[in-house]
Parts: sequence; structure tokens; C-alpha cells
Amino acid sequence: MTTVPLETAAAATTKLPSPSPRRRRRRSGDRPLILLLLGPSALLITAFIVAPAVYSVYLSFTNTQLTGFAARDPKFVGVDNYVYLLTNSDFLGSLGQTGVFVFFSAIVGQTVLGMVAAVLLSRPWLRGKGLFGAAVLMPMVVPEVVASLTWASVLTSGPEGTLNRLTGVFGAAPADWLQVVPLASIIVINIWRGVAFAMIMFQAALEDVPAELIEAARMDGARAWQVFRHVTLPLIRGPVFLYLLLTTISTVGVFGLVYFLTQGGPGGQTRLAAIYIYERALQFSQIGIGSAASIILLIIVLVLGVVYVRLAKVEV
Amino acid sequence: MKRSRATAAVVATLVAAGGLTACSSDGGGSGDDGPVTISVVQYQQTRIDALQAEIPGFEAAMKAQGRDIKVDLVADVLTDEQFKTKITQQLIAGEAPDLIDIGENLVPGFAGAGYLAPLEDDLEAWDGWDHYRPQFKDAMVRQDGSIYSLTHDTGVYNLFYRKDVLTQLGIDTSQPETWDDLITRLEAVKEATGEAPIVVPAGAAWGGGTWAEGFQPILGGTDQDFYDADSGTWDLDSGGFEAVFDLYAELQSKGLLPTQDLQNPNPWEPTKYDAFPAGTLPVAAQGSWGWKFDWGPEGQAPIPQLEDKVDTWQYPALRDGDQPFGWSPPGFGYAVPESSDHKDEALLLAEYLSTGEPLARQLVASGAASPRDDLADVEPLASEPKLLQAGDDLADSVFVPTGDGADQVSQAVATATELILNGDADGEEAYDAFKKDATDLLGPALVKQ
Repeated sequence: MTTVPLETAAAATTKLPSPSPRRRRRRSGDRPLILLLLGPSALLITAFIVAPAVYSVYLSFTNTQLTGFAARDPKFVGVDNYVYLLTNSDFLGSLGQTGVFVFFSAIVGQTVLGMVAAVLLSRPWLRGKGLFGAAVLMPMVVPEVVASLTWASVLTSGPEGTLNRLTGVFGAAPADWLQVVPLASIIVINIWRGVAFAMIMFQAALEDVPAELIEAARMDGARAWQVFRHVTLPLIRGPVFLYLLLTTISTVGVFGLVYFLTQGGPGGQTRLAAIYIYERALQFSQIGIGSAASIILLIIVLVLGVVYVRLAKVEV
Repeated sequence: MKRSRATAAVVATLVAAGGLTACSSDGGGSGDDGPVTISVVQYQQTRIDALQAEIPGFEAAMKAQGRDIKVDLVADVLTDEQFKTKITQQLIAGEAPDLIDIGENLVPGFAGAGYLAPLEDDLEAWDGWDHYRPQFKDAMVRQDGSIYSLTHDTGVYNLFYRKDVLTQLGIDTSQPETWDDLITRLEAVKEATGEAPIVVPAGAAWGGGTWAEGFQPILGGTDQDFYDADSGTWDLDSGGFEAVFDLYAELQSKGLLPTQDLQNPNPWEPTKYDAFPAGTLPVAAQGSWGWKFDWGPEGQAPIPQLEDKVDTWQYPALRDGDQPFGWSPPGFGYAVPESSDHKDEALLLAEYLSTGEPLARQLVASGAASPRDDLADVEPLASEPKLLQAGDDLADSVFVPTGDGADQVSQAVATATELILNGDADGEEAYDAFKKDATDLLGPALVKQ
């Protein structure tokens, strides 16, 4: 798989000559085909993404509940739900935990390790690339529930836990890792799970870096780190920021992995925003407040997305 | 021409699909005399097995009456929280089975939302209704005067204790009259074993159980005024709330609660299923189903020679003037969704399952006490002295029916007790946090001014 740097692609797009009148006619003649091809997707996206999102925005301004008398007669409450959430320490705490989780697992962990893996795989001297690549890819292809079960087994308390067996070799007492270091545990697990996607994206980007530029830098006396820092990294900045955008969005939405392992505990230490929303909307039936929390999260992700796009100076 | 053919094809497809949908939507037939298939859902394996065994008897009984009613058992093994989430969605969508078996704590919310059909007129016409104990008849009546679920099993919440362990440690096993008395004994246990000696559901991880199985029983024993059924409002200033938060805080500050286990996912596993059977945690707040469902031979964590090793205390008195008590909510009940096409047939099944031997067998399977007064001689219940005793204890037990807003109060209690478990609040601070949270969540209409 290869990836064209977005800057290059965007530049190429701007240099295309304007289409001839004949070509324009042919394009307008293609409209029914385009409608046929895109119509079903557009319809499905509208029905299953746009409409629920719009409905969610509406719900966020009401006191709608799934149970109780309020379920019969929901009322418009303006921005009450938003005011409640933005002054609620539990919700703000969950946003903070989400920020820590995203920063350390996605932005730092997955990106750095993914880059290291991609650089290593691009080295001609590395033996056993297939095995190494497969080992890194494995966590990504494993279903979420299986991954959770695997880690539940690794981190389980008592001497039978895999990690406790390992630490026991050095004389350490068994620990309940999901109790003692719950947030750090799920951060490590999410890094393990997401590093393959980073590796694939960066590997593809590295393949597009012209070899002659690397050679020239080396001939000028640059060391490996200097080559990477001043030549390679600027050239793959687009894919890196695109990856950061994608991984941020997907990590903010992580639910199943964390819910299966900790259910937001202990003591709310891993109550990420997605878990908070689930608890509010479905466990406590407050769909209005849950919707408002979702919209706040959506706005935060959108802002982050815009920041990434601006930083990367790419067109998406 | 091509376009009109395509249009015709689309219309024909839609008509065919509509026809097929119509054929399949009646669930196997309807009408007063024709064959009817009704669905019933259960989500606990023990109850699934018990209900499965009763279905042939019901179908035969109906056949003897000239009715052709088939029962489709929807067996869906889930936790309480998972079931609540799923059945709520089904009720909203109008896709719930014809008969659902739900805990008492779910009824106010579902009834308030209009998801359940009122049953009182049919129950008045049913001869079994006369045998229901009066306190359950009263407890089943909701805020609007209607009954939405037919209680079929119940129990008494007490403090279960390991008689063998406490005796070995030299701890008094007589009924503690006050919580102070019990706490003194628990401190002695802690000193001897180094382990937290009592589990009372608390915190967010226990879900709705923190309120229904932990906090509410203690509250109800000391304060019957926290909910006003006439106005349908919660009195958050009622004195019992702060007293119970103080109790939780005292248990936590003295290291008597297993705080870390209580914050685990599925906190009942390390406490009730591991530590209590092992004898390292010798006291547990628990309903009478503990005799079967939790620690019985076929239970989740069997304790050999259970009746020799385990006994029960009533909850001790919390405030001056209180007496030791048991807590007896209506327990599980059969409810018929308003959207059901076969309400009459579903209620027939509910009544059959709540009568005589079918009920006695289910009670024994799930370890529950009978809400009826005519089952003491019916086997196999007649051979279960602990369950019969629980039935007798019902007369001396208390229960405070609540209504709309129970979910919100449950959530606020879970959050506030979590603060205590974390060591972030004492009793007064937890009560203040609870009051603020509950006031926000309930809204002015449900809070007594």
C-alpha cells in the first residue's frame, strides 16, 4: 500500500488544466451514474449518521429520559443540560481522563512506537521483517472483545495472572494491576492495540520519501537522527498529522475495551467521556444529558481536528 | 418504458415485502380462539431453567381449557444492568416480549413512562389475588393507583453472617441490637483477621444495587418518610439519608468495608462470591435468595453445609428509637408491556406461574420467599425451612414503596457513596453531594419543597 502525500496531491490538483467543453458535457452526462453510485451511500449516511446526529442535538436541549414520567412528556430546557455538564465535576473529570488517555496512548504511545516500527521495517538490514510486522499487526486484527479478554487474563490479580507470573520471577508480590494502575493499564493496552495502524501509515509515507534526498543529506555528513529530524519528518508531515487526526478521533470514542476491563472504575479513575455518556444515557436513562455530553465531546473533537489540519497545512 | 417497468418492479417489491411483514407480525396467530404464541423473557440462568420446566404444564393447562397458547421462552443471560439497558430499548421500540420478569426497582420507571399495561382489573378477577399478603398488594400499587407488575417472588434482606467463622474468633453471634454494637464486633473481627469484615453494596460499580440492595434497606428501616406517595415527591431533607451516609462513612473510615473490591467491575464477585464463601469476609448484606442463588448447592458460589455455617441477623437499629428489622421489597414480578398484542394470554401465563406448585418450584429454584399465604404446604417449598422462615419474617419486615425518580436517586446515592469509598467525603459531605445531585437530577417536580 502506498500513500501520496496530501500536499503533493493537493498541489497536483491545483495544476490541472480546466476541462474542455466536451469533457464538461460528458461529465454532466455522467450525473445519473454518479447519483446511482453515490445515492445509496448518501442515503444510508443521512439515515444512520446525519439524522441521528441532528436528533441528538435536539435531544440535548430537552429533559428527555428513557424511563419515568419525563419519558412521556419531554420538555425543552434550553442550555440547562450544557450548564449542568460544564459545572459537573464528574463530567469534567471524565473529559480530563479522556485527554490524558488520548495524549499518552494515541498521540505519544501509538505515534512514537508506530514510527519506530515503521523506520525499523524500512531498514534493509533488518531480518525477519515478516515476523516483526505480523507481531505488530496482530493486536489490530484481533476483535476488541478478544483483546480485552486477553488483557484481562494478563492483568488479572492473584499469582495466576500472566504479568504477576513475570513479576513473581523477580520476587514481586502479585498485584491487581487494574486496581493499582487502572489508567496506565488501559493506556498501555490501547497503545498495544493501535500501534499497527500507525506503523502501516508511516511505513507507506516513508516509502514515498525520495532516496536521493536521504543520500544527499548523508553525504553532507548528517547523522541518522539528523536525517530523520530534518529531512524525513518534514516530508511525511502530512501523513503524520492525518494519522494524529484519525487516532485522536478514534481514541476519544474508545468504549468497549475500557468498559470490558474496568467499567470506568475503580472509583471513576477510568471513566472516560464515552463511558460517562453511556452511564448517563443508558444506565441512568437520562438521554437528554447524555446527548448534551455527546455534543460537547463532538465539538471538542471538531476543534482538535481543525487544529490538526491547520498545523499540517493539508487539505482534507 | 424502462422507467415505468422499474417503477412497477419497485412497487411490486414493496407490496410483497409489506405482505410478508404483515404475515409475520402477528407472532404465530391471534384472535380469541385461534392459536396464539406469546413470548416471555428471562435473563438469569436459574430462572430460565425454572421457567422452561413450567411451560409444558401451562400449555397443557390451557389446552384443557380449550385454549391453544404456545410459549416462546426468550432466554437471554445478562447482568441486571445489561438487562435493564436492553429491555428499556425494547420497550421504547414496542418490541418487548409479551411477558417480562423484572425486579421491583425497574417498575416505577417503566410504569411512569407508560411502557407497562395496568393489571389491577384483571387481578381483582383472579382467585389467586385473595391469597397475596396485604403488604405486597399495597406495595404493588404505584403512584397513579394502578398495579403494573405481579410479584411472584420476594425475600427479606438481612445481614448474612458466617456463624462458624465468628464463633471460631470468639465473636458474639446473637442479634446485634444497634449498629454501634455490630461495629464493635466488626472491629474485633478486623483486628483478628486484618481483613474488611462486612460488605454492603456501595459505589458506582454495583450499579442500581447500591441503592436497592445496600442503601435503601438501611434507610427504610430508620426512615419511612423519605418518599411521599401522595404527592409523588422525594423528601431529600428527611433525616434518614444523612444517618445512612454517616454509617457508610464510619464503616469506611474504620476499614470495615472492602473499599477496593467495591470499586471493581462486578464487585459482588470478590466479596460475595469469593471472600464470603472463603470466610475471610464474614458479614454480607443480602436477600434471602442467598440461601439458593448465591451460596446454595447449585448457586454461584456454593458453601458446603451452608445452613450449619451461615445464619442471618436483622439489620440493627440505626437511630434512637429504631428496632432491628428486615427489609422486604416486592422482588421480581411479571409485567405485560403496553405494546403487547397478547396481553390477556400473557397475564394468564403470569397467573399460572404465580400459583401452587409452579410457583413453589420457582421459589425453591431461585431461593425466594412466597408473596402468597397459601404455599406453606406445597412441595417443594414445604421442605425448605429457610425459605419458609423468610416467608414468616415478611410479616415483621418493612418496605417503603417509591415512585418516579427512583433511578435518579439511585444514581445520586451511587455517586455519593463512591465519594465515601474513595475517602473523598465524610458522611455529611457525601449527604450534601447527594442532595445537590439528586435535586439536579429529579427536578423541582419530584422534590418535596
